[in-house]
Amino acid sequence: MKAPKTFEEGMTRLEEILARMQSGETTLADSVKLYAEAAKLVEFCRSTLDKASLQMDEIDLQLSMAGRQEGQPEGSEE
Amino acid sequence: MAEVLSVSALNRYVKARLDGDDFLFDLALRGEIANFVQNARSGHCYFSLRDEQAAVKAVMFRSDARRMSFRPEEGMRVVVRCRATLYERDGAFQIYVNEMFPDGIGAAQLALEQLKARLAAEGLFDPDHKKPLPAYPQCIGVVTSRTGAALQDIRNVIGRRWPLTRLLLCPVNVQGFEAADQIAAAIDRLDKSGRADVILVARGGGSREDLWVFNAEKIARAAYRCKTPLVSAIGHEIDFTLLDFVADLRAPTPSAAAELAVPDRGMVRNEVDEIYQNIYEIMQNQLEVCYNKYNTCADLLEKGIHRHILDGGRAELARLEAQLPLLARTSLNEGNRRLRHAAALADSLSPYRVLARGYAVVCDSKGEVRTVGQLCPGETVTLRGAHHTAVCKVTSVEETDESAQNL
Repeated sequence: MKAPKTFEEGMTRLEEILARMQSGETTLADSVKLYAEAAKLVEFCRSTLDKASLQMDEIDLQLSMAGRQEGQPEGSEE
Repeated sequence: MAEVLSVSALNRYVKARLDGDDFLFDLALRGEIANFVQNARSGHCYFSLRDEQAAVKAVMFRSDARRMSFRPEEGMRVVVRCRATLYERDGAFQIYVNEMFPDGIGAAQLALEQLKARLAAEGLFDPDHKKPLPAYPQCIGVVTSRTGAALQDIRNVIGRRWPLTRLLLCPVNVQGFEAADQIAAAIDRLDKSGRADVILVARGGGSREDLWVFNAEKIARAAYRCKTPLVSAIGHEIDFTLLDFVADLRAPTPSAAAELAVPDRGMVRNEVDEIYQNIYEIMQNQLEVCYNKYNTCADLLEKGIHRHILDGGRAELARLEAQLPLLARTSLNEGNRRLRHAAALADSLSPYRVLARGYAVVCDSKGEVRTVGQLCPGETVTLRGAHHTAVCKVTSVEETDESAQNL
């Protein structure tokens, strides 16, 4: 199991795990593994939700108007 | 009191007075169309023009009506060139319209309606073409003014609801001469950048004229071309622009667009907790099931199968223990018997038994047994009997005659 990069990835994986465990076809050993993974994912999702702060970048109209087009955080909010 | 007139004479008189007035003969009149009908047979149009306080009947003959570039509709504001006079037969004051034009915003509105009809026919508003919004956008493209209230509203709402996302602002002028070009270009730019999961095109409230730029055909086409889901948020609830029809989703205000574009983090947190709770319960349940199975097996082992095997073993052991002395005795007796037999056999074969019967063994001086044939005359030998030995001197050795031997 690899660590999720985004909240959505984590959430999608959590939903997958729930579906697999709900199927009732997992062995106890698999379930324990999935449960451990789920616990980590929940931790990740919760902290992602709590710690996030809005970032804003700007992109210019024309590609040629280079300058601040590539991901410069313009500011953030709590 | 002057002379008594007929109705016809009065109407003819009034009509003549009116027709004699140059001002009334050719005038421009502004008003709103009401009760418009076109006679199917004659092709003449009959309607009223009115403003807030008054109305006047109007006729437009077929030859003039044919030259109109648009279809007059109820409530449409128009300017007409006409002649005001009296219809003698009915004594009705009315205008005869030569030309009709849409009035002011009316002209623009008309052009818009026609553009809208054209774009609708082309399929730009098709519900099938509308794309669903992503559930958890990573990046939200925003096309609006850098300094406008719309951007602040969007930042506030998204910062509160879903700060997990990034905003990617493509700043534009939302009014003025270049606004339409810039807005269309910004939509293209954000779409082609591939960075935005959803694009908000927003502008705060303003007059109808302020928002008019969002009716531009190039913006509508840019929005239709855009592969990224696009939300329009122009003005207030009551304001509709062409972009609203093309957008994948129309939001009544910029704040509402922000709400529609992202989930609420409180609700999502609850969802995460709920999923985890479910997983936890399934895990507990499965563990319980396994424990129960294990316990059942353990009980069986302890109470049933295990004891059974043990008891069987014990019984077998006892049985064997009971047999052991008997088997040992039997085995011992058998040994004794075999020993006695062997001893008797050995005894019967003992050479000393032969000596007891009177025979003797010939031994040489070294005590080794010699056959008679090996002896030499003069040799000293020992005769060994059962109880005695005799030392003898051999005087002669002769071969015995077999036939004379009679023992």
